[in-house]
Amino acid sequence: MSFLSLVVKNPFRNKTRSSLAIIGIAIGIMVIIALGMVTGGLKASAQSTLKAGAAEISVVQTGSGDFGGGRINESRIADVQKINGVKDAAGTLRATNTSITVQSIVPSPSSGGSFGFSVTGIDRNKLSLAGVDSVNGALYSDGSANEVILGKTAAEELQKNVGDTIVLFGKDFTITGIYETGNFITDGGAFMSLTTLQNLTNNANQVSSIAVKVNENANVTQVSNTIQNTYPNELSTTSAASMANRMNNALSTIDMASWAISILAIVIGGVGVVNTMIMSVYERTREIGVLKAVGWKDRRILSMILGESVVLTLISAVMGTVVAVVGVVILLSVSSIGGVITPSYSPDIFLRAFAVAFAVGIIGGLYPAYRASRLSPTEALRYE
Amino acid sequence: MNNNIIEIRNLKKSYDNGKIKALNGIDLDIKKGEFVSIMGPSGSGKSTLLNMIGALDVAGEGFIKVAGIDLTKTSKLNEFRSKEIGFVFQMHNLIPNLTVLENVEIPLYEANLSSEEMRKRALELLKSVNLEDKINQTPTKLSGGERQRVAIARALVNHPSIILADEPTGSLDSKTGDMILKLMRDLHQQKNVTLVMVTHEPYVGNLADRIINVLDGKIIKLN
Ligand SMILES: Nc1ncnc2c1ncn2[C@@H]1O[C@H](COP(=O)(O)OP(=O)(O)O)[C@@H](O)[C@H]1O
Ligand SMILES: [Mg+2]
Repeated sequence: MSFLSLVVKNPFRNKTRSSLAIIGIAIGIMVIIALGMVTGGLKASAQSTLKAGAAEISVVQTGSGDFGGGRINESRIADVQKINGVKDAAGTLRATNTSITVQSIVPSPSSGGSFGFSVTGIDRNKLSLAGVDSVNGALYSDGSANEVILGKTAAEELQKNVGDTIVLFGKDFTITGIYETGNFITDGGAFMSLTTLQNLTNNANQVSSIAVKVNENANVTQVSNTIQNTYPNELSTTSAASMANRMNNALSTIDMASWAISILAIVIGGVGVVNTMIMSVYERTREIGVLKAVGWKDRRILSMILGESVVLTLISAVMGTVVAVVGVVILLSVSSIGGVITPSYSPDIFLRAFAVAFAVGIIGGLYPAYRASRLSPTEALRYE
Repeated sequence: MNNNIIEIRNLKKSYDNGKIKALNGIDLDIKKGEFVSIMGPSGSGKSTLLNMIGALDVAGEGFIKVAGIDLTKTSKLNEFRSKEIGFVFQMHNLIPNLTVLENVEIPLYEANLSSEEMRKRALELLKSVNLEDKINQTPTKLSGGERQRVAIARALVNHPSIILADEPTGSLDSKTGDMILKLMRDLHQQKNVTLVMVTHEPYVGNLADRIINVLDGKIIKLN
């Protein structure tokens, strides 16, 4: 039997004790992986708001807040377009259809915080500024036809396909296409032509925000400031980068909390490993004496005990990973936030968890292994 | 050039900062291939003497040379044990979760052998103690005598020049004990290995080449 098989076989001598240690570490690993998958998914989503091609700046009425409850006259679109450094500008009107609700973790402010279905009106040629690059099916037509494209999440939740009809603001709309941007807010909504939405919601010649794309060599902050300074007390700007930043800040808070929980779990599990290995060495004192008597080097005894400790934590890592992945997938498939979070399967998350498990195995096994290797053979053999 | 495999001069060993004098000046020569039995009351230093020969402990004072190696000078005690010594203890000290075969392979990890070679050697020894039909059992399922036979196979698997046995029949009934003693004597003859055995069995006098009596850490002459 190879030395490795011996090391793998030994931890199963006391099944109850080893199982307890494994469960302890597995819980820690599970927390690391589950939180990593969820926050990783949210981060990817936040990052996708910075997609190439999308608008970098959002212009809203001063004092109306980020989500654009305010109104801007359409004529300002052309004015903003003329500002130095602006490559393209598109008026968007955002409205909430409260007769349909799509489960979303982002409450729409214009519907008083209830979970309405957000519809955005925008010129079909300017959809890329809203982050929509490609559509499965076709775009809505230019004029005031009752056509709409749905985000993938919304389509899944409402169980709609291309060609189906959907009632919006009391009218029948044909779904001409379905899009996916990777951003959970955008993918939970719908787009239609600006004119159509303006007419439906009595907002003729009004938009709620202007999406601005800057020239490649222009500075986003500088363009932002120019827009605000040209129309003081009328237009305010937020940049997509600063939005994403704010989201990332929130996420790094979650990240830190998840690390704190993980470290706690690992410390508790690690103490379990140290305890298990010390008990194991203690019980096997005579056996270790025999190993020395038959000529084993101290180094071999050290690596055997260390190896056993690592075997325990690696089994924990595998178990924790399986439970976390299965748990996250099940949880997201049954709960309402499932549609908005796509779990991340980034190898980083799993590598990190296995590295942590390995480190706990080494650190937890070090002292017991050292003690075992330093036992005096005669005393070990005299041990009752 | 003499043919003494063990040479001991004025060997002393004390424990607890000199309070316990376990060995108090031992002089002993053992020839290559000899079967020597060590007798004496409990606490007289028999195990300590055996442990010194097997380099499990270091001498306090005096000179000890085993298989041509001065044990007061060498630092490679593990290597010495692995090459030259096989131990049999009163308790079989087998590893309970390993099979009989795996237990016998244990001393070979330091010998740089392939897994197949290890298996082959262990099998060969298990045959010579008549346990080839039990190789895949765990020691918990064996009788006391069978366990001690596994321990004997383990002691011989590294092809040592000396077997050190410390009361190998001490926890067996007298019939099984006699059987183990005879088996060890036979193997010692077959394999031409030096056998030093601590035992209380009076019957050993018929088997051993020589009996040494130890009292209070010294060898006493009875005649
Ligand atoms: N590691 C040790 N620490 C302290 N005292 C010891 C140790 N080993 C042996 N002794 C003492 O040395 C004396 C001789 O012991 P030992 O060689 O085991 O005797 P025997 O095997 O003849 O019964 C005893 O008094 C015993 O208590
Ligand atoms: Mg003794």
